[in-house]
Amino acid sequence: MADVTADAPTMSFEDAPPEPERHPVRQFLLMIAPFTGLAFFFLFWEFYVRLAGIRPLTLPKPSDVLVHVLENPGFYWHHATVTVQEAWWGFWMAFVLAILVATAMAHSKFMERAATPIIVLMQSMPVAILVPVFLLWFGFSVWPKILTALLFAWIPFVANALTGLRAIDPETHELLRSVNASRWEVYWRLRVPHSLPYLFSAGRICIGLALVGAVIGEFFNSKDGLGNTARVAQSRLLVDQLWGSVFVLAFIGVAFVLVLIAVEKRVLSWHSSQSVV
Amino acid sequence: MSEGSNSTAAISFSGVSKWFRTKDQLVHAVSQVSLDVAKSEFVSLIGPSGCGKSTMLRLASGLLDPDHGTIVVDGNRPVDVRKRKQFGFIPQHPSLLPWRTVRENVSLLCDLNRQPEATVMSDDDQLEMLESIGLGPFVDSLPNELSGGMMQRVSIARAFALGAPFLLADEPFSALDELTRVEMRYLLLELWEQSGSTVLFVTHSIPEAVVLSDRAIVLAARPGRITRVIDVPLPRPRDESIEDTDEYREILAEVRSALKEGWSH
Repeated sequence: MADVTADAPTMSFEDAPPEPERHPVRQFLLMIAPFTGLAFFFLFWEFYVRLAGIRPLTLPKPSDVLVHVLENPGFYWHHATVTVQEAWWGFWMAFVLAILVATAMAHSKFMERAATPIIVLMQSMPVAILVPVFLLWFGFSVWPKILTALLFAWIPFVANALTGLRAIDPETHELLRSVNASRWEVYWRLRVPHSLPYLFSAGRICIGLALVGAVIGEFFNSKDGLGNTARVAQSRLLVDQLWGSVFVLAFIGVAFVLVLIAVEKRVLSWHSSQSVV
Repeated sequence: MSEGSNSTAAISFSGVSKWFRTKDQLVHAVSQVSLDVAKSEFVSLIGPSGCGKSTMLRLASGLLDPDHGTIVVDGNRPVDVRKRKQFGFIPQHPSLLPWRTVRENVSLLCDLNRQPEATVMSDDDQLEMLESIGLGPFVDSLPNELSGGMMQRVSIARAFALGAPFLLADEPFSALDELTRVEMRYLLLELWEQSGSTVLFVTHSIPEAVVLSDRAIVLAARPGRITRVIDVPLPRPRDESIEDTDEYREILAEVRSALKEGWSH
């Protein structure tokens, strides 16, 4: 024993262990990891089109699509704002409606039983079939698109809000009741904060769904919006514009989801889902 | 009324019975229980699972109503006492709200259902209590940064922050490791001695019941009923040294054999 410790560096047993060594290369790789998948995907696409000699009409190079979008910023900005506005209002109306319905369902057995069949019905039917009906009602206005976005985004919101508001810990609920807390206090102090993680994960899904709803609404009938630019491009074989619409729409979806994740990180710092990331 | 009811008692059960109806059976959770708890007395309810000891806490606080018999708390119906926030409750698990800091969790029950004549601790007193039980450095921490023992400390502090004259504890230490349990026992004693509250403490730990209580109520299951009442005349204030005394060991043995009798019936 004595021989071993004699050669050891001078360190008493009271010293804290040194900082673990950092591996700069490893850290750098982990940091860029999320981008490597995307980069690989686009590079593969680019070189596959170039080397296999695919006709642009079948599949253009991503670099060509990117250049096309950057050469027409005003065009895409205009149509993107139209689609985003439709999806935006649809998203928030779906959110508010879902909270109202889920709150009523979480507080009343009767409401829960009465509303469940309607939710199941909307979950099971392809709601896109209702778009012509909306057109009949609201004509060329923005409302058919907003309603379609609302209808698409509503189901995940209401399902998650209901779980979040209802699945509170019974022991904590009893604790609040031990001081005779009102239903209102239980709602604001316990149910609503508890449902936030559920609402955020629904939100991530619903951003995409609201955009899908808006675009489908635009396919049926519209003068502008990315659904319109894609539809027109398809009928006139404007390949660059077709793929440009796809790219811009994908970018919008990703951008909104990233913003939501950033907000979620701040709001849900207490939640276990955040400790891993 | 049976002789169990005593007008001077802080908490009084007389001839109380409670059934639970599940899908296919009727469970007799509490049968003909009469018990008087004096003001500032520490009473443990000890027994096997299914003996109705947790149900008795819910009956005492008016969260459940008895099917037969009456329960009087401080001369009032339990529900009315609960409405005035006179019950401090320590649940089995810490039940902390994960989005509130330690300090905010401790003040949670004080903020709810605010009463004009409330006896709740001031913010400064709450902080002082948190410091005295070693939570000083953690007042602004979130629950997910605490160990199990620390969380249970917060849960105990939350109950005392109410300044309630009655304290109900439902096996609060059962999920903790043995070393932490022992520590919590004496921490609870210390806070209780300062508060002078009347305590109903549900447990299935014999040492816990003996160390903490003035009286240990031994219960048996199916139907849940009182089989023995054992006085614990150990001097107060108590610390860990009483666990080395012969009186302590005798009472321990008495409670153990009373529990065994209950099982064999």
